[in-house]
Amino acid sequence: MSWRRLASVRWVVAAALLLAASGPAFGAGFGIFEQGSKAMGMAGAFTAQADDPSLLFHNAGGLAFVDNDEIAAGATWIKGQKADFTGAAPFPGPGARGEQELLSEFPPHLYYVAPINQTWKWGIGVNAPFGLVTEWKNPNTFPGRFLSTKASLQAFDVNPTIGWQISPNFGLGFGAIGRFSKVELNRNIGAINPFTQTAVDVGKVKIESDGFDSGYGWNFGLLHKVTPRISWGLSYRSKISIDYSGDGRLTQISTGNAQLDAIIRARTPFDTKLPVKTGIDFPDMASVGVAVGITPRLLVEVDANWTGWSSFEEVVIKGDDPTASAVFGPNATPAQSRGTVIPEGWDDAMNYRLGVRLDSGPTTQWRFGYVYDETPQPEEVVSPLLPDANRNGFTAGYGSTGPGLKWDVSVMYLKFDQRERHRSLPNEPTFNGTYDTTAWLFGLTIGWK
Amino acid sequence: MSNRFRFAAALAILALCLLPQTASAVDTGSADFTRYVAFGDSLTAGFCSGGLVRNCQLGSYPLLVFAQATGRSPQEAATVFQQPLVSSPGISGQAVCRNPASPLYPCGVLRLVSLAGASPTILPIPGQAVPQNLTLQRPYDNLGVPGATVHDLLFTTSGGFHDLILRNQSPPGFTALQQGLSTHPTFVTLWIGNNDALGAATAGDERLLTPAAQFDAEYRAIAGAIAGTGAKMAVANIPDVTSIPFVTTVSRFVPNPATGQPLLINGNPIPLIGEDGPLQSGDFVLLSAVSEIQAGRGIPASIGGSGIPLSENAVLTAGEAAVIRDRVNAYNATISAVASQYGAALVDANAFLNDVRAHGINVGGITYTNAFLTGGLFSYDAVHPTAFGYAYIANLFIDAINDKFGGNIEPVDLFPFVFGTNGIGNPTAASADFFEPESVVFSPEATHSVIDVFVKAKQPAKPRRHPKH
Repeated sequence: MSWRRLASVRWVVAAALLLAASGPAFGAGFGIFEQGSKAMGMAGAFTAQADDPSLLFHNAGGLAFVDNDEIAAGATWIKGQKADFTGAAPFPGPGARGEQELLSEFPPHLYYVAPINQTWKWGIGVNAPFGLVTEWKNPNTFPGRFLSTKASLQAFDVNPTIGWQISPNFGLGFGAIGRFSKVELNRNIGAINPFTQTAVDVGKVKIESDGFDSGYGWNFGLLHKVTPRISWGLSYRSKISIDYSGDGRLTQISTGNAQLDAIIRARTPFDTKLPVKTGIDFPDMASVGVAVGITPRLLVEVDANWTGWSSFEEVVIKGDDPTASAVFGPNATPAQSRGTVIPEGWDDAMNYRLGVRLDSGPTTQWRFGYVYDETPQPEEVVSPLLPDANRNGFTAGYGSTGPGLKWDVSVMYLKFDQRERHRSLPNEPTFNGTYDTTAWLFGLTIGWK
Repeated sequence: MSNRFRFAAALAILALCLLPQTASAVDTGSADFTRYVAFGDSLTAGFCSGGLVRNCQLGSYPLLVFAQATGRSPQEAATVFQQPLVSSPGISGQAVCRNPASPLYPCGVLRLVSLAGASPTILPIPGQAVPQNLTLQRPYDNLGVPGATVHDLLFTTSGGFHDLILRNQSPPGFTALQQGLSTHPTFVTLWIGNNDALGAATAGDERLLTPAAQFDAEYRAIAGAIAGTGAKMAVANIPDVTSIPFVTTVSRFVPNPATGQPLLINGNPIPLIGEDGPLQSGDFVLLSAVSEIQAGRGIPASIGGSGIPLSENAVLTAGEAAVIRDRVNAYNATISAVASQYGAALVDANAFLNDVRAHGINVGGITYTNAFLTGGLFSYDAVHPTAFGYAYIANLFIDAINDKFGGNIEPVDLFPFVFGTNGIGNPTAASADFFEPESVVFSPEATHSVIDVFVKAKQPAKPRRHPKH
């Protein structure tokens, strides 16, 4: 490896660290599949093509076929268009409304790929394949404020990868994944005011991890060019668990009754940093795709993607000293014998992607796509913390394929099915209603080959 | 088709669209709420905080069920579904409010005055209440009579709250059951039997329990009479009355007067003394014992008490509690069998209160429990529900009715009950139905008699209508 290459790697990592500080956002569950604008133009149906540096995310098997140094950097602008909630009886009732702060997030991606020799290739990618921001407007009146006012999960991956070209038309790729993530959960605390026997806000709780915590995993990819016109690919990224440590902080809200405020204040450790721990099991995911060149200029790819969201069983928050344990558990109350448990109980989920690529000139392409993305979230746990739904995404893109400067632009209109909740898990909060979300995504990737 | 016919058809369709939405808009399945009558006791009447008051009656579960089943707002429903409304501050069930010799007379429902000190101060709201619907020329639709037992529903025509609710209506001498059935109801709810067990729990005297065989016979007679009219029915069973805050709130240990928490001597709490000696695990000290404890009763003389044991009526021993639970289970076996026999919807109020005791119920992130004052489900008398509690119970009825009769009645919107935005149940809410809170001046005697509230708690054992089995 030349010094120039090493210098490039350093640049990629440094820039990634800067970019990753911005909050990523969206995707099935809390995944983000939009990790390169070329692939995004085809709705992510790219596993059997994997012919630009975003192969490091879409299919590491494509790395085996790299024959030139190539660098690419870009971002997806996720722009929320609508994210509303309407309540249903018994609670919070049909008169209850909520509106999310509309997303405007830029999950970035940076990739560098290069041949080592005819057989072996290498690359490194930095991207944000998971992320979430659900933040509700008017947090002191939003009817779901005792469940969540803001949930934010940021994560970025550093993904060094080796490609092995076994034969001229068959390649494998193997990578290591370092995932770096931080999390923030905010909500209000409600209690019964004994003077009115109705619910009042008595405080806020903000739980935030200290900086980025890390977890590690691996990935694998296979790409087989069966004929010049037909290829298929397979990609797998492993499950990664991250344990977070951070602080919980309680802030008092006055109920308007001085006696009650004093009693609550005497019993609650307000304005203290309470050490807490939590963890998230990020799912593994597998994709399989087939691409067929219908004519020399027209290619169609169909992909199926499986995500092992059943790993996301629950979020458990535990106090890490006696004071914090008395607030969050474990053992604060019988119900908190394990800590504060937010059950999720997600299911593994599929999505299906159709992409079309049309060569409009020797170095330019139009791309179109459609994705149906199945929600992993059972109805009972759809909540203000993370309301998910089945989605239909429609994409279009255009790009120049180099050599030299390359650029790709893409756009996706993402329509979530209306998500209704009319039931709850036993002993878990009742919070019925309908979530209605749409978003636009805009991708831009610039590269040099 | 002729043009005239088309025009007529179009007009008919237009007319159908323009017709006001009526009761038929709600899918009640095979249940018919054209004439709905509710039989029961204080829980059916919407009794709260020790009295019968309009502000809670307007949130009674029968009214809310009727509103949902007929597609009306609770306000609209209250103009159709007739109840024995009582003006503020309500008619109290307490002698202290109703006896002209009492320093607090006249007074109504309880409210929390202060949380200062070791014990909260709860006092009746002063004032004289007036019945507001006495002239109704037919029986009320809500025939819940506070204090009524199964026996009362079948046989009692006057006395206590019966006088207010039955009003010696023509023909005179009808029981609540007879009055209700005389209106030819199409649907009936029946939640009776709570007082067959409750008096024993609140007086710490299991001898007050209605014998199971009597309960069975009388309950079957009531259900049979209702079923005989062809009305469909929803029945609710009896909760474990040893789970209510009246029973569970006071610790069995001597309290530290400064904190209200158990007093520790050499690190150990000191049990209060009952008639059988120091109280044991599983024994309950009733809320009615607070004034005795404040006067030093139940506290050993060695630590500054009077050394006189708590009165028998102030303690529910573990053995008594077990007898009560067994008896309630027997009552519920009857109710369950009757529900099956007549195809009635069964509301499992017993399971509901068990859930509340075990882990509370969580509504939108607020946990409701059986804790006194802060639990949100029990009003200031520690026995009867809050407005939220009644609305939640209405939804238990609606769920059971939907399940049994294949309907799709919408549940009650709990939001205004959670946040108090409708003013129902809150004696200090600025509601059109309620007066401005009055300032309360209370004497030491008044303070002592505050918790002296629960109709049956301090009375000597009632004359036995039926010998103990």
